[in-house]
Amino acid sequence: MIFRKLKYLVRAAANNLWNFRGRNLISVLIISFSFLVIGIFLALSNNLIYIGQQMSNNLAISFFLDKNLKTEELENIRSQILASSLVQSLNFISPEEAYERFITNFPELKEILENLKSNPFPAAYEVKLKKNVTSLLAITTFLENIKRLKGVLDVQFNQEWVEKMQSLSRLVKAIGFFLGGILILASFFIISNVVRLNVFARKNEIEILRLVGATNNFIRVPFLIEGSVLGLLGSLISIFILFLLIKIFPVYLGNSLGAAKELFALRPLTMEQSVWLIIGGAITGILGSVTSVSRFLRI
Amino acid sequence: MIELYHVWKQYQKPHWALSDVSLEINSGDFCFITGPSGSGKTTLLKIIFREIYPSEGQILIDGVNILKIPDHKIFRLRRSMGIVFQDFRLLFHQSVFDNVALPLQILGQPYKEIRRRVFNALRQVNLHHKMWDFPQRLSYGEQQRVAIARAIVNQPKILLADEPTGNLDPELAFEIMAIFKDINKQGATVIIGSHDRELIRHFGDKIFFLQKGKIIGKEVKP
Repeated sequence: MIFRKLKYLVRAAANNLWNFRGRNLISVLIISFSFLVIGIFLALSNNLIYIGQQMSNNLAISFFLDKNLKTEELENIRSQILASSLVQSLNFISPEEAYERFITNFPELKEILENLKSNPFPAAYEVKLKKNVTSLLAITTFLENIKRLKGVLDVQFNQEWVEKMQSLSRLVKAIGFFLGGILILASFFIISNVVRLNVFARKNEIEILRLVGATNNFIRVPFLIEGSVLGLLGSLISIFILFLLIKIFPVYLGNSLGAAKELFALRPLTMEQSVWLIIGGAITGILGSVTSVSRFLRI
Repeated sequence: MIELYHVWKQYQKPHWALSDVSLEINSGDFCFITGPSGSGKTTLLKIIFREIYPSEGQILIDGVNILKIPDHKIFRLRRSMGIVFQDFRLLFHQSVFDNVALPLQILGQPYKEIRRRVFNALRQVNLHHKMWDFPQRLSYGEQQRVAIARAIVNQPKILLADEPTGNLDPELAFEIMAIFKDINKQGATVIIGSHDRELIRHFGDKIFFLQKGKIIGKEVKP
């Protein structure tokens, strides 16, 4: 009997989706627009996060070393550096290598170097930090510890740059939470109002069902099915449009944005984000239906 | 048995749609509630199937105070009733078949059984040839007959009908009354709100006269 009822309810939902197709299409479009806005924001923040990661990948620290260090002392400094959990890799740069690198990077200064009697460049350990290292405090503590070791002359690390990057990342997150929250709330209200209008237009039908002895669940289920289908369709369409935008956006706007191009690029949603967006669509459709139908079930 | 005790209903001050209505309708009765337009017939019927609540008073059906039934359980009362609404209340985007089948679909009856019973109900109201039409393509009288078929398809214990023959020609009205009488003979209690004197004179066993919301008389045929 339950299976028969369910079959009837699914059929009723399908019929209603078709019978009220004009109104349902508008609902789907509004839902997809709301989710598209959220999707675009997610894609933009994905890009900013990506840029941030790229920047932190390039974070390098140079420890300049005394020329007269013995092998054991060099080895000691090396092992101390590698002992830190922040370190990804370490590379030894000999004075000769440093000299060569300088000449390659600044060929116009070659003559000045040649006039010098000796190689002015000290040996150095170049250290790359792990990708997930973001705590400035941890980095500075690590720097202080290594700097205190005998034979370490100086440290080169652009703290200001790291601070800027970190505050940018904090800003992106804050904007993300704020705008994301507002957008999700706004879309929920829009969607539940659209569903409410749908339900309101079918107030008579709900009344009739109540008066011929339908249970509340019997009335609710087709609306829930319809709500979830509309929500799902809306979010799927928004993901599809977003996909097209990601393909087209760089072609039409890429060049006109100039240097800001990288900042405003849309990076595709992760699988997890897409799944959440789809689930979000269905949940919003269902919630919108439940809250709206319940108002008419008191006959 | 349906019992109403001191039922009052006010939609808007200072007028009372029903004032101090008390009546008893026994199981198996075939009764009419009659009176001029605005006398409170529809209000009284609506209170019996609890579409609306009275302002005061109590209503018992088979000893159960229906005003105390919670909203989510009221479907049990309604399933034991067949109701013909004055405004028909048909689903216009569904076929005649689907409209009449609705009370059976709600019960989860097998499709074969639904088809058989819907066909029979439609044949009783002489509308079986329009089973797959949509209500908006039917005349007013035909729509009324769809509403009647929906009310009788489930062989209800109580049949309430608000002006069920209001738009039908006298011949058809008599046919419909004969159907109601049949259902009544099978054990159902039938309550009809009507101001059609001819019908009442011909079919009424128990008649309540309403005027300005008050019961002003009662007639029981021997």
